[in-house]
Amino acid sequence: MEITFKILRFDPDKDKKSYYRKYTVKVEPGMTVLDGLNEIKWRLDGTLAFRRSCRSAICGSCAMTINGVNRLACNSQTLALKRKTIVVEPLRRFPVIKDLIVDMDPFFEKIAIIKPYLIAHSRGGSRERLQSPEDRKLLDEAVTCILCGACTSSCPSYWYNKNYLGPASLFKAYRFIFDSRDEGTEERLGIISDRDGLWRCHSIFNCVEACPKSLNPTYAIAELKKKIVTTKL
Amino acid sequence: MFYKWHVGSIAWILHRLSGVLIAFYLVLHIWVMSFLQKGPESFERVMHLLEHPLFKLLEIGLLGVVVYHSLNGIRLMVLDLGYGMAHQKKMFLAVVAVGIVLFVLGAIPLYPF
Repeated sequence: MEITFKILRFDPDKDKKSYYRKYTVKVEPGMTVLDGLNEIKWRLDGTLAFRRSCRSAICGSCAMTINGVNRLACNSQTLALKRKTIVVEPLRRFPVIKDLIVDMDPFFEKIAIIKPYLIAHSRGGSRERLQSPEDRKLLDEAVTCILCGACTSSCPSYWYNKNYLGPASLFKAYRFIFDSRDEGTEERLGIISDRDGLWRCHSIFNCVEACPKSLNPTYAIAELKKKIVTTKL
Repeated sequence: MFYKWHVGSIAWILHRLSGVLIAFYLVLHIWVMSFLQKGPESFERVMHLLEHPLFKLLEIGLLGVVVYHSLNGIRLMVLDLGYGMAHQKKMFLAVVAVGIVLFVLGAIPLYPF
């Protein structure tokens, strides 16, 4: 079956504006959008630029907007999209470097803001810090995040305000604030309870729809809102 | 290409729109009430003007806007408290269903024709 890939392209050396270019690819059952992009790059047009690495939905490199929704190209089956034309665009609101490659620096800067590491003032013993299975369970979802950026780039609050920390950063904050071994809760709550912090989340759920790992950042943000309100009371 | 609309983003944009409309109505309402200062006669005249069917229809519209904004506001508060996260779409459908019932019940006595 032949499918048209309509790709939003931009080369900073040549183009003033981005433009769509169409490619026709012969698709077989089992082919992912990433396979289609590889087919284009290897056989039709070597100038097409996109990031990819693991092709098994764990590295988070190939997040892009496919038919108007953020997904990973490597775990989106072309035939399951049920369209003759597949529109592929770079993650919106992230600066485009070339074609489908976006600058992830602003995204990772926002992860760094919430101090994504264990803060422990008390001295650890000679062994690892233990945690009960119940306490660990609270982190199950948050540690599954692969930092692909699909959620933050899907968030209307982020489209409107680039300074907003975004769902991925807040999800990472949740991962440490709800970690029984961590002692930086107060510090982190202070960071995220900011005008550009979690109060910009309006429970729109685009991040939940976009997450390729089926995680729920909105739930984590709601828990954080609750935590802030209950500690301030 | 536009980003795909999901239930959550539709609920959000309607919430924003209804919020703006309610704020606009509030200003209008205060303006109408300000005629009270100018004596009973001018107030009577304004109130008479508002008897026009067009304003009755606008009032029905206002009812719909307020009903949606309040019901979805409850949905958002419940979600912000961390409840029903997995059911936010069903909760939106409930908002629409209950909203339609309340809207119809309220619109019948307001209907001018």
